Amino acid sequence: MQSGSASAVQAREMIGLSPLRRAAMQRIALPLLVLLSAMMILLGKADQVMFESLRVSVTDTVSPALDVMSRPLAALGRLIDRARDFVAVYQDNRRLAEENDRLLHWQQAALKLASENARLRELLKLTPEPATTFVTTRVIGDPGGAYVRSLMVHAGSENGVERGQAAVTGEGLVGRVSEVGSRAARVLLITDLNSRVPVIVEGAQQRALLTGDNSERPCLRYLDAGAGIKVGDRVVTSGQGGVFPPGLPVGVVASLDGEAPRVEPYVELSRVEYLRIVDYGLAEGLPKPVPIASRSGRRADPLAGTQLGRR
Amino acid sequence: MALRSAGTVTPQQADNPVARLLPIATTLLATVISIQPAHIPGDAALTPAFTLMAVYHWTIYRPDLLPPLALFLVGITQDLLAGAPPGVTALVLLLARPVVLRQRRHFVNRPFPFVWAGFTVLTGSSILLLWTLHCLLDGVVVDFRGTVFRAVLTISMFPMASFLLGRAQRTLMGAG
Repeated sequence: MQSGSASAVQAREMIGLSPLRRAAMQRIALPLLVLLSAMMILLGKADQVMFESLRVSVTDTVSPALDVMSRPLAALGRLIDRARDFVAVYQDNRRLAEENDRLLHWQQAALKLASENARLRELLKLTPEPATTFVTTRVIGDPGGAYVRSLMVHAGSENGVERGQAAVTGEGLVGRVSEVGSRAARVLLITDLNSRVPVIVEGAQQRALLTGDNSERPCLRYLDAGAGIKVGDRVVTSGQGGVFPPGLPVGVVASLDGEAPRVEPYVELSRVEYLRIVDYGLAEGLPKPVPIASRSGRRADPLAGTQLGRR
Repeated sequence: MALRSAGTVTPQQADNPVARLLPIATTLLATVISIQPAHIPGDAALTPAFTLMAVYHWTIYRPDLLPPLALFLVGITQDLLAGAPPGVTALVLLLARPVVLRQRRHFVNRPFPFVWAGFTVLTGSSILLLWTLHCLLDGVVVDFRGTVFRAVLTISMFPMASFLLGRAQRTLMGAG
């Protein structure tokens, strides 16, 4: 111990830093660094793309460590889940049996509709939708702040992930890829302040823009007055804007009070462990995302890259 | 240094080079933990400000080992990883340092409730500042409930963090 500190003192003397000068340097360093931070904030605000490459490379560098560290936490979460499941096994079983009855009915309906759909498509000589490919990946980072809603995933350009691709789980839409590194990517959640998703409210067949505000429930904007939507209506992507294909399930209308209706996402966004990054072959149609412009709630050309709709 | 004489901090001769890295290493670890996905059921997608806990602890006990430059780099790293505007966390951490340093003598060698009370005040003001900065940058009023909840979460988890950091400090630095 003694020799260690002696060598540290020696080293300090060698580079000529007496404790006094060190203290003086620290006194200057603090205001300088405060100023530098403030400048970075302003620069980052003025030019949002400026820090993107830095951010991507930091994320890339840290992603292996994040991956390793997130595993035991995920295992712990699963353990807690399992304990809860064990307690609720009787109710769950009854609920699932009922649900199974209902789903069997829907399976029949779906099979019938699928064959009918195939026949009609053939009749209409409908252009086939672009082939979809996907990568399944683990969530390795979730800043979980009140200000940014995004997830970090352990797949990047090496795995074929590109900016603008959709991130989904079995339940529905999670968000879209906003930044891509070689090994990691960031997914902007549909609840983020900067997220805008063109959707259709089923039932009323109303088009709207699903806008996040960092709360758990994003809201529906640009709805027609008297649109006649109800609590419980399904909300799916409309395919407008060409970022998402039409018909991806997003959530259900949860409340109509307040200035805009709110949507409860199908996916429990704070608990996603695995994600599917899907390439619907639409990413090319995506204009370069400009966060400031998107905040105004409009895309440059809402119909750019729109695919043949299903409706 | 004048700062050192304010309390009974570990004598410098007990430090070895590894121990001297402890404050920076644990603060960085806190940053990485802050962006870990929490798969806890019912979690409201909010993570306590772990980095602030580490910064507070080390600014009280070993401010010499967590210099402003380290705070700046840790803050920038956290902002970049979290996808937040770079500089915001760095600014908050840097501003917290002189405030804590000035009040340091009230906390060193005092019972834990004093330390905790100091942290409560610091967290309240830091998180309020963070909220204000984000509101200004985004041009909208961000939901305040999330901010309050995060402050409460951070304050209530501080004793555990303080215990762990204290243990690490005693183990590697010998006293404290």
